[in-house]
Amino acid sequence: MSSTFALARPRMRKGTGMILPALVLLLAFFVVPVALLLSRSVTEPELGLQNYRELLASGTYAKIFFNTFLVAGLVTLITALLAFPVAWALVIMPRLLAGLLFAIVLLSMWTNLLARTYAWMVLLQQTGLINRTLMQFGLTSEPIPLVNNLTGVTIGMVYIMLPFMVLPIYGVIRKIDPAILQAAALCGATRLQALGRVLLPLAVPGIASGALMVFVMSLGYFVTPALLGGTSNMMLAEMIAQQVQSLVNWGLGGAAAFILLVVTLSLYALQLRLIGEPKGTA
Amino acid sequence: MLLTFEKMGAWRWGLGLICALVALFLLLPIVFIIALSFGDSRWLIFPPPGWTLRWYEELFADPRWIESALTSAKIGLIVTVFSVALGLLASIGLVRGRFKGKAVLRTFFLTPMVLPVVILAVALYALFLRIGLSGTLVGFVIAHVVIALPFSIIAISGALETFDPAIEDAAVVCGASPWEARLRVTLPAISHGLFSAAIFSFLISWDEVVIAIFMASPTLQTLPVRIWGTLRQDLTPVIAAASTLLVALTILLMLAAALLRKGKKA
Repeated sequence: MSSTFALARPRMRKGTGMILPALVLLLAFFVVPVALLLSRSVTEPELGLQNYRELLASGTYAKIFFNTFLVAGLVTLITALLAFPVAWALVIMPRLLAGLLFAIVLLSMWTNLLARTYAWMVLLQQTGLINRTLMQFGLTSEPIPLVNNLTGVTIGMVYIMLPFMVLPIYGVIRKIDPAILQAAALCGATRLQALGRVLLPLAVPGIASGALMVFVMSLGYFVTPALLGGTSNMMLAEMIAQQVQSLVNWGLGGAAAFILLVVTLSLYALQLRLIGEPKGTA
Repeated sequence: MLLTFEKMGAWRWGLGLICALVALFLLLPIVFIIALSFGDSRWLIFPPPGWTLRWYEELFADPRWIESALTSAKIGLIVTVFSVALGLLASIGLVRGRFKGKAVLRTFFLTPMVLPVVILAVALYALFLRIGLSGTLVGFVIAHVVIALPFSIIAISGALETFDPAIEDAAVVCGASPWEARLRVTLPAISHGLFSAAIFSFLISWDEVVIAIFMASPTLQTLPVRIWGTLRQDLTPVIAAASTLLVALTILLMLAAALLRKGKKA
């Protein structure tokens, strides 16, 4: 498609000059520092793979990897279960109600991360609102430890990740033609059959996209695990920070960062292949 | 049937109930902090025995809170300017440019959004220690522009894609110079993309914790770093007061964004 007035926009033909500032910034302050960090994993304290050997051999680190994948998996599963009905309702509810629900989802997403995490720290503590309510209703006689363990991390992360699951599923369900569901009804499908055999399968691209995004984000999450998890239940991101900041062990930190990077980018590549580019969360 | 609310029968109530519970779950922490910030219990008892403005007074009496909020605002504004400017240039190149590897380059530009921020934080920390940018404003700004840029590019290139370049040509035919056409025709047409890029960039910088923890020095702290440091010591209600103000800011920005969207439709 060539424009008649192409001469009016000579620079746009190529456009490489326009890209240059952003490209230089990302090369100098994204690619180079990350590459330098990763190179330290095989050069410190000496040349070789000793850091990777240590990571894979030690039980402490195995537990950290296990915790990380367990929490990421649980968070993905729970958010998918909660987000599907919400996304579905957002599509079909009367406008006013849907608008209200949408505003609540966006408000929770846009509220300062530390503010939200602080709220959960207070809500979940031994004498917190959740424990006292549970005891008042006689559901438990003693406070349940909900914070400084993986339960707390999972609750806090589900809260943070929920919008990232709702939005892609909503985007897909919104585009489904209601006539398809009517056709299912005319063919004699019950509501349950229509849900399981028509609506859910059609929503799969949205669910898969949200699930991949939430899983990847959860794997590398730092703030919530660090504040709600306590020291005995460390996750990968916190361990990387600790190796570098407190233990000044750049080799081991770099090796852990490399493993996290490879897993993250492979899943991102999978997402690009299956679903295409992630959408902005506006 | 399942996509027509009126025809869902009893399922309506099931779906409505689930949504009500999720909405409660989403609102609980936010309403809770706001209530706590006005409660007079030092030990965060809920519901509070009485009401007070004491925590707000403590917040505003401590110059370190004000200072860190101003630092955050300053960094956020500078980041916004750079992120929107670089994002605009890159978007023009990516949307209108004709060169090989454009798709790959676009994917590359969006990568900082997917990479766990802790990796970038640690990597930049190492680099900045070496080149003397650690604990400086410049270091903060560079790091935050790197993570804000992908969001800026998504917002601006999205707006640019829906704008037909032939309109720009038409302005040139009508006698505008190419730059005049760009500034007075194209730029206003994609202004909603620029505004949402600006709001996103500011919020990303303003809320960012992980990089900030590594970049901060005792004399240069952003608001999140200050909250983080306090949180690790104790759960004082002063943080509830600070959080409530942040929630208020969020609601204001959301309203601004909503008005913007409405203006675009009109």
